[in-house]
Amino acid sequence: MANVSLQQIGKSYGGAVAVEAFNLEIRDGEFLVLLGPSGCGKSTTLRMIAGLESITRGDLLIGDARMNNVDPKNRGVAMVFQNYALYPHKTVAENMGMALKLQKMPKAEIEERIAGVADMLGLTAYLDRKPGSLSGGQRQRVAIGRAIVRTPEVFLFDEPLSNLDAKLRVKMRMELQELHDRLGVTSVYVTHDQVEAMTLADRIVIMDGGVIAQVGTPREVYDKPATEFVAGFIGSPAMNLMTMQSAADGSWRSNESQLVLPRLPGFDTKGANTIRVGIRPEHMTILDASAVGDDPWILPGKVMLAELLGADALLTLSVCGETMTARVNGVDYPEQGQQLAVRLNPEQLHAFDHDSKKALQV
Amino acid sequence: MNKRPRIILYSLVGLSVVISFFPIVWLVLTSLKNTAGIYSWPVQYWPDPLTFQNYWSIFTETPELLRYVLNSFIVGVGCTVLTLSVGGLAGYALSRLRMRFAGVLMVIILSVSMFPPIALLPALFQTFLNLGLLNSFTGLILAHTGLFLPYTVWMLASYFRTLPVEIEEAARLDGMGFLRIFFSIILPLSWPGFVATGLIVFIFSWNEFPLSLVLMTQDAMRTAPVGISLYPGEFAFPWETISTATVIAIIPVLVITAIFQKQILGGLTAGSGK
Repeated sequence: MANVSLQQIGKSYGGAVAVEAFNLEIRDGEFLVLLGPSGCGKSTTLRMIAGLESITRGDLLIGDARMNNVDPKNRGVAMVFQNYALYPHKTVAENMGMALKLQKMPKAEIEERIAGVADMLGLTAYLDRKPGSLSGGQRQRVAIGRAIVRTPEVFLFDEPLSNLDAKLRVKMRMELQELHDRLGVTSVYVTHDQVEAMTLADRIVIMDGGVIAQVGTPREVYDKPATEFVAGFIGSPAMNLMTMQSAADGSWRSNESQLVLPRLPGFDTKGANTIRVGIRPEHMTILDASAVGDDPWILPGKVMLAELLGADALLTLSVCGETMTARVNGVDYPEQGQQLAVRLNPEQLHAFDHDSKKALQV
Repeated sequence: MNKRPRIILYSLVGLSVVISFFPIVWLVLTSLKNTAGIYSWPVQYWPDPLTFQNYWSIFTETPELLRYVLNSFIVGVGCTVLTLSVGGLAGYALSRLRMRFAGVLMVIILSVSMFPPIALLPALFQTFLNLGLLNSFTGLILAHTGLFLPYTVWMLASYFRTLPVEIEEAARLDGMGFLRIFFSIILPLSWPGFVATGLIVFIFSWNEFPLSLVLMTQDAMRTAPVGISLYPGEFAFPWETISTATVIAIIPVLVITAIFQKQILGGLTAGSGK
């Protein structure tokens, strides 16, 4: 087991920068998730840790040893790939034992280790089979087993669940969590699925355009997104974001609609002319249309679309001409075309600088 | 699918089968006729009498045919093995290693095969003469390898590109080097590609004419197509001998194709990924 340290790591392909000034200390035993949209540099970062991509700038340390130019096999890392990447012409046991065989470990010891891991993952019955005859979930389990057998310092996961169907994905997610609790090996996990990130991670690193947008616990990135990008990326459906201009009386007005919000409590908006105000769909309270009155946070609205998801329903609202999404209880919710009132809970508002996109200080 | 397009489709397939197979069928039928049957008018479609006499006499009267077939076989196998070895490694390097100018190299390799073989002949003949490679298997194998290598590199490089690169990355993490990855991962996985390409190279080499004609001047070194082409004399055109010899010359290719057919059709990558 080891800590991993990325210091000013950068990657360029020719002139194109893929990852820039990546600084991160991954603690020993931590489960760290790299989250972001395609092309944000999360896979490139993982592959640099693995040694499958060269590092253009900066230093990579695993357990305090500089690894920039160390061969992948000597970095003490094991990787699980999205498409499993098993050797199709080798049996499950041969797949799992390949690294040990190449290390010239005695045969008896290899077999013992494979048996132990196979038992842990429920693969004992399949050891003599070829990957082709296994289901997707079993194949991914073999890929995970291949990584465990080596007792690496660090596990690297590159979207390992993306090829599985939804039900299996949930099951494997739980298995991965159990496995991490049991083995306690430092893990770096790349995904674009925020549910995986929220449920698995000790800390989440959200990347955007090759740079870190925010590092924090799942709670932190949800409650206190550091940038507008994080705010829009974490949470489903996405946060409602409105562009507002400051008015002379301290209120905020939208140029595109009739939306007017009172002075924003708790945000440092000094000197800001234009800001972005955000509120999550789950932080809006739906009231009767007659509730509009003295409370400036209660605004009139109309239901444009109502979609039942099951336990919840999503309402697409027009609030003072601004389109917003609200998440409400799925049992009893207003129907399409209905007039109503919406309360934006001021404690749960977010505000971002219009130009820098950074969260305004509270 | 609608019925009408399917009928058109089948008719087109049928037509191409008839067109490509007619000469071979005619060849086989001719080899089973006697001389009178071949020259009879109106044309005899079914041999009457049907005779295997030509097959008997070709071995007794022109025993050199077996020698030609053997020569073709040696050259074909040698050329296939050499082409696959060199082409496989080159194709792997060009498809996988991050090399500068890999694309340019591929185009240059392809452009070499744009020269008609006949244009290479004068230079090749002089070179082989100086090197003492005329009338030697090594010589013709080298010449054929040069001729078919570009095709092989392209075929195998595009086959390698269909293999998921993650398998090789997993192998690197497991501790394999490039050569080991090539021999113990890539080679077993691209077996069907090698068989298909090798088969085509073998057939190309088997049928190749101009280089074989010029570089093998001794009768004992001639390949089958060249040998058979020399059967017609100044005044006689022994169709029964030519067609019988040609049928015999086709047989090895047919047998090899039949043996490896399954390998070409069945892929081996099933099960590595999703």
